[in-house]
Amino acid sequence: MTGAAGPSPDYEVALVSLNQWQLAWRRFKKHRLALIGAGIFLGMVAIAIFGPLFVPYDPTFVPVPDSQFCPGSTTQLAYSGCPPFTPGHLLGTTGSLRLDLLTLVVNGARISLLIGLGASIFSAIIGTIVGGIAGYFGGWLDNLLMRIVDIMLSIPILFVIIIFAKIFGNGDWRVILIVFAIFGWQGIARLVRSLFLTLRTEVFVDAARAVGVSDLRIIFRHILPNAVSPIIVSTTLSVAGVIIGEAFVSFIGYGVNPALTPTWGNELTAAQDFISQGNWWWPLFPGLAIVLTVLGINFMGDGLRDALDPRSRE
Amino acid sequence: MLKYIVRRSLQAIPVLFGITVVCFMLMHLQPGNPADRFAQNPKITQAQIEAFKHRWGLDEPLPAQYCMWLGACGDKGVLNALPGGNLDIVGLTIALPGGDNGVLHGDFGYSIFDGQPVTTIIANRALPTIILALTAYVIWITIAFLAGVYAAVKRYGKFDSTLTIFNYVGYSLPTFWLGLMLIAFLSVPPLKIFPASGMWDARTVPIFGTGDYWVFVGAHPIDAFVDLGRHLVLPVLTLVLVSVAGDSRFIRSSMLDALSQDYVKTARAKGLSERRVIFRHALRNALLPVITNVGLEIPFLFSGAIATETIFSWPGMGRQFIESVGHNDYTVLMGILLITSVVVVFANLFADIMYAVVDPRVKYD
Repeated sequence: MTGAAGPSPDYEVALVSLNQWQLAWRRFKKHRLALIGAGIFLGMVAIAIFGPLFVPYDPTFVPVPDSQFCPGSTTQLAYSGCPPFTPGHLLGTTGSLRLDLLTLVVNGARISLLIGLGASIFSAIIGTIVGGIAGYFGGWLDNLLMRIVDIMLSIPILFVIIIFAKIFGNGDWRVILIVFAIFGWQGIARLVRSLFLTLRTEVFVDAARAVGVSDLRIIFRHILPNAVSPIIVSTTLSVAGVIIGEAFVSFIGYGVNPALTPTWGNELTAAQDFISQGNWWWPLFPGLAIVLTVLGINFMGDGLRDALDPRSRE
Repeated sequence: MLKYIVRRSLQAIPVLFGITVVCFMLMHLQPGNPADRFAQNPKITQAQIEAFKHRWGLDEPLPAQYCMWLGACGDKGVLNALPGGNLDIVGLTIALPGGDNGVLHGDFGYSIFDGQPVTTIIANRALPTIILALTAYVIWITIAFLAGVYAAVKRYGKFDSTLTIFNYVGYSLPTFWLGLMLIAFLSVPPLKIFPASGMWDARTVPIFGTGDYWVFVGAHPIDAFVDLGRHLVLPVLTLVLVSVAGDSRFIRSSMLDALSQDYVKTARAKGLSERRVIFRHALRNALLPVITNVGLEIPFLFSGAIATETIFSWPGMGRQFIESVGHNDYTVLMGILLITSVVVVFANLFADIMYAVVDPRVKYD
């Protein structure tokens, strides 16, 4: 914007050049639901990181009961759990072991979010590599890789995850994270492949090839940056799916061991037995934490889609 | 057209083959093998164990075991996978003895847990799943369709905004947790309205599917129907609440897409009534993607009800799967996995072909 025929210096001061990320952020800021979603999600992350420092109990600490009744009550049996707003237990306690629910929910956030984020990022990396190679090279390699993706999309993948978690799972959250990562990349692989199929015919790819840039460098340095927006959106939304999936697998007892690390899913396992005794707060609060987080991620993902890829708006 | 159908069908073959390989591999990931049960028995000699392994082909390399499991090879010859008869390949006639051992013959083996044939177990569990899933499916598709179309027609109206919020929330609900909550509030005092688990009232109605049950249905059709209906309410409600969200959103955007097309503008410009524009011009075109997409959900009904069936102790395939995981009953697990996957492949194939048949704009080159 400089030169003899350019605008006068007064105007030049007012010109601000924005790169595509700044433009995207500008669009994202205008998306009210997306901001709410991001707020909820970041709040949950903050709770996951700092929350355990502020809650009064240790998640695996089993209190020694001093009475068969809840504090401040003469009828509510402590064994079936104390309701919310019991003195010392804001969200109430679980049945049986009488653990503090607030402590459990706050501590559960750590592993639930870690598995959701970790598995999604790993899946995105695998999916990008597989989809990128298939889309860029095409031919038999593309055919082979896409048939593998077809197979993974045909098999009810949750069933496979449960079997894997049962065979290899030892209650360690890291194993569950890896299982979700290796069975979650097929969607992104298909997405990246379709993006690469169109991008590889662009002129800048021909130009790069003409000056002798290696295939790998073209894939990761030249094409990938152009495909990164849909990958980010898809990865964000998949975090929600993994959090729900992990919760179910842990709930049925093949995921993370509740005695080692609480997650929102495994905190619900034993809750089912106490529902008939009128304990609704035990299943309610860990589940609400899941719903809130997933809702936040979905809001945020849709906002990101609008901000990063304005053409795809409905 | 025919070329497309043939090509698309041929594409399904490697996928089906791959699915069987994956299922076989999963079965072999489990620690140990069937001969291990003799290890602790002092009366069984090593030679007998070897004989047992040889009898069942456990001493063969894995590819050979896979081929035998598939029913493509075995002691009867290489190509006995197809039903009996003669196969004529380039003038070379090969006798096909047929047989009933192996997956290709519909023989999935026996349950490790209770010794029943896997096909029998699956057949027994399929009916409850179909009853639950189909009831829910019909209800949620109807609701999603009406809501989606109405929201699209009255875009940005009050109903549309409400539906959008509802969809976000419904989409974010874990199915199993929603089931727990419905039980906690609708089948526990003070609001003990609906039963929380099972498919029948054990005190008055015989076990579902047994001979006694059908006799009971014959004698008391209304009682049996009401009993089943009462048990259906909560699981169906769970599935409907969760599934309406995704589908109504899809139907809404498909309808919006159709409403923004030029032929709709033309129809309006011609002075057609809004009613006619919406129902005759927009809706019919909006239905195309909806039908294929919604049709594709049918095979996932078998696997998708797994969380609901677990929570409500519904005796269907999903619950059988979870029970079999608990029993390490790998033959049953593989049977369920294989059958549901194969159904998905065929449904995909069918949907693709139907789409090409129904929509002349689809290019199939």
